[in-house]
Amino acid sequence: MKKSKSGPVTVLLLSIYLLLPLLMTLLYSVFSRWSDILPEGFTLQYYSELFADKSFAVSLLRTVLISMLPILLTALAILLTMYVVIIYLPGLEKYIRILCTIPYAIQGVILAVSVLALYSNAPGILSNRTLLLTGTYCVAILPYMYQGIQSSLLSVNAPRLIEAAQMLGAGRLYAFFRVVVPNILSGVVISAMLSASIIFGDFVIANTLGGNYFETAQIYLYQTLFASGQKTSAVIMVLFLVTLIISLVAFSLKKKERRQE
Amino acid sequence: MSYIDFLNINKSFGSNHVLRQINLSVEKGQLATLLGPSGCGKSTLLRCLAGLEEVSSGSMYIDGADITGKNPKDRNIGMVFQQYSLFPNMTVRENIAFGLKLQKMPREIIEAKVSHVIDLVDLKTKVKEYPHALSGGQQQRVALARSLVMEPKVLLLDEPLSALDAKLRKLLQAEIKKIHIDTGITMIFVTHDQDEAMILSDVIHLFKDGQIEQSGAPTQLYTQPKTRYAAEFIGHYNVLDKSEFDKMIGLGGLAEDVASSDVSSVAIRPETIELMPEDYTLHHPEQAEDKLRQAQTEDKYLLPATVVNSTPHGNVLRYTLDVRGIRLHADVLFRSFTLYPAGHRLCVSIEKRNCISL
Repeated sequence: MKKSKSGPVTVLLLSIYLLLPLLMTLLYSVFSRWSDILPEGFTLQYYSELFADKSFAVSLLRTVLISMLPILLTALAILLTMYVVIIYLPGLEKYIRILCTIPYAIQGVILAVSVLALYSNAPGILSNRTLLLTGTYCVAILPYMYQGIQSSLLSVNAPRLIEAAQMLGAGRLYAFFRVVVPNILSGVVISAMLSASIIFGDFVIANTLGGNYFETAQIYLYQTLFASGQKTSAVIMVLFLVTLIISLVAFSLKKKERRQE
Repeated sequence: MSYIDFLNINKSFGSNHVLRQINLSVEKGQLATLLGPSGCGKSTLLRCLAGLEEVSSGSMYIDGADITGKNPKDRNIGMVFQQYSLFPNMTVRENIAFGLKLQKMPREIIEAKVSHVIDLVDLKTKVKEYPHALSGGQQQRVALARSLVMEPKVLLLDEPLSALDAKLRKLLQAEIKKIHIDTGITMIFVTHDQDEAMILSDVIHLFKDGQIEQSGAPTQLYTQPKTRYAAEFIGHYNVLDKSEFDKMIGLGGLAEDVASSDVSSVAIRPETIELMPEDYTLHHPEQAEDKLRQAQTEDKYLLPATVVNSTPHGNVLRYTLDVRGIRLHADVLFRSFTLYPAGHRLCVSIEKRNCISL
């Protein structure tokens, strides 16, 4: 079959279109001046300033933590729910699907403002901003986590695996967590990586709910925007690098899963 | 009491009554087959015995013990599924050892038992492979070994070969039969394939709409079907209404057993219909009727027929014949001198004892 020449050209043009802003940001972050066509004064000063700034490291750590906690909680909640649905209430599956898909339709700002209005004056721990942020992220990533776990459960035919384990002497809960979960782990991890990327890139929810109480990397980025353009570019590059690492891990897991299939 | 007893089993899914008053027994060491079309309830009965479904009413006994309300893991029953259901993240050896490890058996005993069943199903070279690296037949052998290693009281096989191609299916049928003979384990096999049931079974229970239509040894079911459904399902019988049969043979020609008043239809196996040699071939229909009547004996019908078409089925040639306006199927061995073209006139001979009244 004759190969089309337009394919590689399209990919090349698209790559340039997507990578050019990134390249410009990188250049902007490693040169001190850019007043003419070419930048001048190569420097890593902005990166060294950034890594010397303790508040950046703390905000980055906060972002990593606030990404992981909702992911773990959501994954656990969905797995337990799916266990109950598969074993005892298969008829509820369609309602769970609708419920888990609803957050797709809710914009971050609406979600955050609603949560704030509802819980800001709530007594005790319920008004804790970190808790509110965690809970809101749980809701925001619910569709992504659910879709990943659900499709993985479908692909391994979870009910049949549980029955096979039962016939070999296993209890249902044991069969689910010992046989089914290890087989959907790569799907769970990929959903988790996707969710982590979403939380990593979020500013609206973090700023509305966390603000000064819980400064994440995105809020740090926003504040740096007013101080120095080059430093802002350096922050963007670091955040991009972290997100890239997360994506690469997800991609390698997907490849591993394909090899197993 | 038999080794396995189903007593008055009923099972409903909502308003759908899937099993109706099932009473069935299986003797120890027997290979019993539940045969029937899709949706007749055979797999549901198997799943009820395994404990994967609860019965709506009735009781089940194995070796005299009531197992009706027990958990699957407490029934000591093995089950092989149609979709293999191997654990994808475990190797062949780990899959087979899974149940034994749950019982917390000593490692050396597990090793010995696993090695034994691996030999039994001839998978020595595949023990370190993962299920995705195995063919369908090999996966099903692993599933079989995984159940056998638990030394269950009963082994249930839910259409285990239906996902395999014809050649592999035949091979595994022979292996299952051999394993049954070697181990002496009581097996209940579910299938919709009557040939498979005939090959494997000591006894066949034919299902229809959640009820047992007929039970018996394969030869008994094949040669003595009691109902039109049994005749049509178990063999490729020609089943004729009484009026059609009368028309075919001519009035007054009924054999004694066929002539009884409560007969509603008559079944004739295709292979019992004999196509007569060339000298009986009828070139003049008006003379043929007289000739045939003269040649007819007390124990057989001689009938004029016209070939409608023929289709080869392996070593058998299946003819569709027109006998006095009635369509009949006749099976003959596929040989060059048994080839007759469409429209060819000939004579068929049917022994009266092979006309089974239903």
